[in-house]
Amino acid sequence: MRYKILTVDDSKTVRIIVRKAFKAFDCEILEAGNGVEGLAMASKEAPHLILLDVTMPIMDGVEMLTKLKADPALKSIPVMMLTAEGGRDHVLKIAKIGVRDYLVKPFKEEVLIEKSKRIVDLQPYAEAPAKAKSIFDPANILIVEDKPAIIQQIQEGLKHTPWKVYGVTEQAEAVEFCAKTPADAIVVSLSLPEESAFTLFRILRNTTQTKYTPVFALAVKTELSQQQQALTVGFTGIVTKPLDFSDLEAKISKAMNLDTSQRYYLIDGGNLVMRLPENCTPAVLAESANYLKPKFAEAVDSGLSKVVIDIHQLKSLHMGIIKLLVQAMQNCQDLGMRFVLVGNPEIIAECKGFEDTRSWTFYDSIDAAKAYLANPNAGAPQLVSA
Amino acid sequence: MPVIEEITETLIRDNINRAVTDVFKTMLGRDPVLITSSEAIKNQPWPPFGHAPENASPIIAGTVGFLGDVNGMLYLYLDLDLARMATCHLLGMTEQELDTAGDEVVNDAIGELSNMTVGSFKNGLCNAGYPCKLTIPSILRGSNFSIEPISSTTRQTYYFECAGHRIVADILMKMI
Repeated sequence: MRYKILTVDDSKTVRIIVRKAFKAFDCEILEAGNGVEGLAMASKEAPHLILLDVTMPIMDGVEMLTKLKADPALKSIPVMMLTAEGGRDHVLKIAKIGVRDYLVKPFKEEVLIEKSKRIVDLQPYAEAPAKAKSIFDPANILIVEDKPAIIQQIQEGLKHTPWKVYGVTEQAEAVEFCAKTPADAIVVSLSLPEESAFTLFRILRNTTQTKYTPVFALAVKTELSQQQQALTVGFTGIVTKPLDFSDLEAKISKAMNLDTSQRYYLIDGGNLVMRLPENCTPAVLAESANYLKPKFAEAVDSGLSKVVIDIHQLKSLHMGIIKLLVQAMQNCQDLGMRFVLVGNPEIIAECKGFEDTRSWTFYDSIDAAKAYLANPNAGAPQLVSA
Repeated sequence: MPVIEEITETLIRDNINRAVTDVFKTMLGRDPVLITSSEAIKNQPWPPFGHAPENASPIIAGTVGFLGDVNGMLYLYLDLDLARMATCHLLGMTEQELDTAGDEVVNDAIGELSNMTVGSFKNGLCNAGYPCKLTIPSILRGSNFSIEPISSTTRQTYYFECAGHRIVADILMKMI
């Protein structure tokens, strides 16, 4: 998966200059013409970096930034201001809301790239890996936390992944570990004594092997000023205690730029199977939605024409899920693909409660759905109406 | 509260000179030079004053305002040839591609150059103790037009030479 960079500017000229500046790098440039479009695009695409102008019609950059930082799903997206508004007081005011960098126009493309590289690990096209690492590839994750119980919890919470989770309790141990073992991502507790989390962060960023390694700050959920301080010095993101392991896994995957599409889309017996996990958080839905169009197009391109939409693992239904499923069905229709739904009794019952889902019909197992798709005329498999 | 009389002609001239030079150097790789000789200015008063001479090249003027402890508008005049050259450089386009893309692209590019120039100019005022914000740019195009300020407005006009073309920065400021 390539890095996504969202440029929010009412000037098409600036958006073209940004696109031109990043042309040599393996990244996708997304565009929005004002704050409203920018927020919508950020929710939909979950970019790795936002370049944000200030003076724009409809919604300006300051309002968009404020809304972005107030949204739990979006607040960790790093923002670099790219604006002609460069008065000292103005810059300070915006910096307080929370930005990773500030570039005043006029700007040189090289400076924009250099500053962006401090936030995302941009790779030139020629050097970019042919295939992105996936969630099924092994990786080394280092946890630096003075409380061994927390390290243990994280190891337990991520044990279903192919990742090796190492734990150390002190700054010096972490430095020693990184010198011997390449870490793919590091989580540093801000509760380490004497602010050594920040010292460790500086050491990691000044060391060649860890210069671009994603480093997360681990903080208590309510310690907002500490979290803000961590983002300001350049931590990749924040992980909060009490720990939410699916959130931790999603953040690490994203920071490591892993291809997570296989969580939601796979090819099975000549069918494209789209599946949703038990707990569909907004982050999960956004991730799945990101891959939807490319995965369906990829399937059609490989000659597939049948889709199983599998939601039997879901525990409950909500509007976000319905919206994604409707989008998937619409996509099938647009591409001329045949699709069937697989659900569990609870979800099928819940579908009766929504106008949009009342008419949906489900198979109660993937095998039944696949059998029907393989031969629609060979007897009626078990079909359940919502 | 600072008032406009405290903003000296020198402060304005230094700020606009720095702003135009920075923007054209950084974005276009050009070195505009502020024309200080009054004779050179007298010879070609249009734009922004008087009427266009016969066969005058069409002009594009980018306008951006600044509002705050000091209010005003800055008009940046470029002849069409320079505007097209600047657009091609900014967007990495050829003349032919620009012909296909149309006037809209040139307007947007000059709007952005004006935005950067006025931004840089007003950031100098902000840092001198006159906080103000930018407005959204707009564009004027034509072969013969002039801007007439209202009487309470202070007007300062500066001429620059750039790659054989003339750039005019016309600054209108009003006391609050």
